[in-house]
Amino acid sequence: MKLPLAFLALIAVAALIGPALLPWSYDSIDWNAVRVAPLSPGHFFGTDSVGRDLLARTLTGTRITLAVAIAAASVSLLIGVAWGAIAGWTGGRIDEAMMRFVDALYALPFMFVVILLMVVFGRSILLVFVGIGAVEWLTMARVVRGQVITLKARPFILAAEAAGAPPSAIMIRHLLPNVAGVALAYLLLTVPQVVMIESFLSFLGLGVQEPLTSLGILVKEGADDMDIAPHALLLPGGVLVALLVSLTLIGERLRDRFSG
Amino acid sequence: MSVYQVAGLTVSIGGRQVVAGIDFSLEAGECVALVGASGSGKSQSCLAPFGISAGIAGGSAKLLGSELVGASEATRRGLRGRHVGFIFQQPMTALTPHLTIGRQLAEAWTQAGAAKPSHRALVEALGRVELPRAEELLDQYPHRLSGGQRQRVMIAAAIAHRPKLLVADEPTTALDAPLRRDVLALLSRLRREEGLALLLVSHDLAAVAEHADRTIVLNEGHMVGPEHPYTLALRAASPRLSDPAPDLPSPGGSLLQVSGVRVEFPRPGWRRGRFLAVDGASLDLAEGEGLALVGGSGSGKSTLARAIARLGPMQAGNVTFRGEPLPSRNAIRPQQRRFIQPVFQDPVASLDPKWQVADIIAEPLRHLTPDRDVRIEALLDEVGLGPEYASRRPAELSGGQAQRVAIARALVCDPQILLLDEATSALDVLVAGRILDLLAELQHRRRLAILFISHDLAVARRLCHRIAVMEEGRIVEEGPAEAIISAPRHPSTQRLVAATH
Amino acid sequence: MRALLLRRLATALPTLAIVLILSFLLMRLAPGGPFDGERPLDPATRAALTSAYGLDQPLPTQIAIYVGRIARGDFGPSLVYRDFTVTDLVAQGLPVSLTLGALAMLLALALGLGIGLLAAGRAGSRTDHALMLAMTLLTALPTFVTGPLLVLVFALLLGVLPVSGLESPRYLVLPVVALALPVAGAIAKLARAGLAEVLTQDHIRTARARGLAPWRVLVVHALRPALVPVASYAGPAAAGLLTGAVVIETVFALPGLGRYFVQGALNRDYPLVLAVVTIYAALIILFNLFADLLYGWLDPRARG
Repeated sequence: MKLPLAFLALIAVAALIGPALLPWSYDSIDWNAVRVAPLSPGHFFGTDSVGRDLLARTLTGTRITLAVAIAAASVSLLIGVAWGAIAGWTGGRIDEAMMRFVDALYALPFMFVVILLMVVFGRSILLVFVGIGAVEWLTMARVVRGQVITLKARPFILAAEAAGAPPSAIMIRHLLPNVAGVALAYLLLTVPQVVMIESFLSFLGLGVQEPLTSLGILVKEGADDMDIAPHALLLPGGVLVALLVSLTLIGERLRDRFSG
Repeated sequence: MSVYQVAGLTVSIGGRQVVAGIDFSLEAGECVALVGASGSGKSQSCLAPFGISAGIAGGSAKLLGSELVGASEATRRGLRGRHVGFIFQQPMTALTPHLTIGRQLAEAWTQAGAAKPSHRALVEALGRVELPRAEELLDQYPHRLSGGQRQRVMIAAAIAHRPKLLVADEPTTALDAPLRRDVLALLSRLRREEGLALLLVSHDLAAVAEHADRTIVLNEGHMVGPEHPYTLALRAASPRLSDPAPDLPSPGGSLLQVSGVRVEFPRPGWRRGRFLAVDGASLDLAEGEGLALVGGSGSGKSTLARAIARLGPMQAGNVTFRGEPLPSRNAIRPQQRRFIQPVFQDPVASLDPKWQVADIIAEPLRHLTPDRDVRIEALLDEVGLGPEYASRRPAELSGGQAQRVAIARALVCDPQILLLDEATSALDVLVAGRILDLLAELQHRRRLAILFISHDLAVARRLCHRIAVMEEGRIVEEGPAEAIISAPRHPSTQRLVAATH
Repeated sequence: MRALLLRRLATALPTLAIVLILSFLLMRLAPGGPFDGERPLDPATRAALTSAYGLDQPLPTQIAIYVGRIARGDFGPSLVYRDFTVTDLVAQGLPVSLTLGALAMLLALALGLGIGLLAAGRAGSRTDHALMLAMTLLTALPTFVTGPLLVLVFALLLGVLPVSGLESPRYLVLPVVALALPVAGAIAKLARAGLAEVLTQDHIRTARARGLAPWRVLVVHALRPALVPVASYAGPAAAGLLTGAVVIETVFALPGLGRYFVQGALNRDYPLVLAVVTIYAALIILFNLFADLLYGWLDPRARG
């Protein structure tokens, strides 16, 4: 748990303040150093095929990827918790209909829905995360619903009703605090999913647009050049994988703690 | 040679000793009962030597002369398979869900090396444990069977390979009262007929006393004698029908009138109709009076009580409190809920795990009254807890303490009626006894009317003047407690009385 | 069992209908049609094209025409690949994608279940921890990282396997491995967790008390219920393989359906994109049905 947390903190801090400390920005071109190897003077990670500093691009790319991921995961948190809590709390046919809807969406090919959205509404970064968030809430909704149903059957909810608490108060004072832990765990598990989708879209040329960059774009550029400059694939790829693994490990640990 | 001989047996779990030095021996056809409260080490001491619990056994335990303690897992596995049959507490989960009854019984039959049984042999094996329609059962999966049927299948499987020793770990605890008696009688009969040595584990001293040749009482891993205070407390803890009638406060004027209550639930799925849980039930309750709603699981007793307290649905019927009709669940105002407060079965699940005890108790107060802390402290004292409990969280409480907190919460707005929904049945025997004492004390001091939901007649009688017996959503018999117990008229009541000690 | 299947079918068909209608509406809402190229078309040509593709009819009519056509297996002409019908493109691409996906699924199942059983058999040991960490790593490795990495190592550095294209079965090895790895990781984790949980249940103690050999307890009494979470992953796994295939086909230049999809999406080729989404949705729904059948076998309580 400590190691992944440290990794995550390191990556986040570097992405946040790193770009400001570097002499190069993600789109500035050093004409004297096109496609140089890592550890070259002035270019710690080397440069890409048009002479842009890879460290600066990797840090900016991480920042964009993380920003999209956190925004999208938050959208999924909001929709998922609201949907799941309402379905679980209401129960009966409304619950059944709401969850059938979730089942139906589950059967949709996610990624293709997002791509459809991108194609239809154009490629904006806002749309990337709204779109991803809007399809990633399903798991959250299922988990929250399950949790609410379990909690609802606990007698302390009945005791609160006997104590005269109205449904809204029971929801806010009893249900949501008890759902929060699991929701947080799944939020953390959603973030890597979103990072993956964002990178994937960018890799296909449908996500973030040049010259702005993201980890997915960097990996794609690296992959195109890997026979002559493998570092351009390995460095951003390494950051991406470290990010995903850390988030997954932390999220799984929290999930096991809270849903037991 | 004894079938099973235990000398100086110890059991430790994770380095902590939970059983310290037990000795007994068991001959063919004999029954020894190990009795104690939960945590006394009774299950560990009978399972650990065989290597099927988390405990590690020390000392000596000899099965037909072969030492089990320290033997390799392969040796113990062989001895278990050939000579021992096991029955566990949870009939609902102890059978493998994806294998048919026939398949599991056949596996038990061949475990000691016997040839594959014929279909007929399996039918006969189920017949021996008094299971009718054995032909159909063989092809069923466990989830199609009732708890009692599953426990009989477990017994049939446990004796299918003709073991010398039968180990029964709380075989009846999870069953309804009438079933408990039948299963114990069945075990006794099999022991006689097959010459089995029976090692019976239970928390209920009186229930096993009539079946066992010797009873060993365990207290925190130590054997204690029959006159030890713990043994006496254990004996006194569970109320008996043979106890003298309890001293109850005399009832006052009429408080609550309930008539024609009907409760239906939709069956799961879209178009499966409705299921009638309570069918035209009527009752009344006076000040300071105790009324017990008694019945088996699924008889509708909890549903009726919750409908009355406006904590559950109700499709038809009237509830009046002191002559005023009580609004429906959705229309009732918080102040109108104060007169009847519930205490539920599972004490830990009754308290919000995120809240502190003080906030839990004060929840019904709604508005922060200036004397909040004083009242909380007084209530904690009234239910026998110190003021230091106010800042604890439910996870830091034992079952008994949690139930005391739940009772304090129920009392905080001075109700006239307590709804006790199996309030003691999830607790350990000794703890349950003390909670019953507390409730009796409160009943006297506060002149509380009590609506007591229970599956146990003897427990219900401790607090109740009258008993109403429910079956399939209807009240089938109602009357003064002593009359119901001494002269039950309805067959359902007769079964209940016969099954209670 | 049959009731369960009918119930599932009753959800599956409307789902498919919703997919069709929604994706069609979305594409129609799109700002900019397929003819908004760099060179504006003259109005007459435009009108002719529009009416030829039925784009001037009212929406419900368009949907009805579209659904009716699909029911006959006719996805209409491609707007970008002008000489081909969508059905032609699907007929070319689908077999490649299906072969890729099926092989990857088999590999993922074999690897995942094997490793899951191995780890659960030694629950708590170092082997267990190391294996599970490795599996987490696998699930976190995007196919577009593993794909190029595998090429780098096995094709460029070692030279034992071809880089890209599809000239012989050997060309499928790297794509299948790259596609299978994340799914294998997920299956291994699910199998390990499922088995670890089942092994603590009461019926396992009953089986052990019977003196059965450990392998018999594992295989006869524990395995089937432990695989329930794996079965419930079948739907997401299928979706994961299909999306993964899009990338893999791009990375390895395989002529599969995924590549057409990306091209179609980039070029706003409505009929092509709709056809692919429909086919993928149908495949995923089919997989979920299969998973439901599997449930019933794994756990009789689910037969309803």
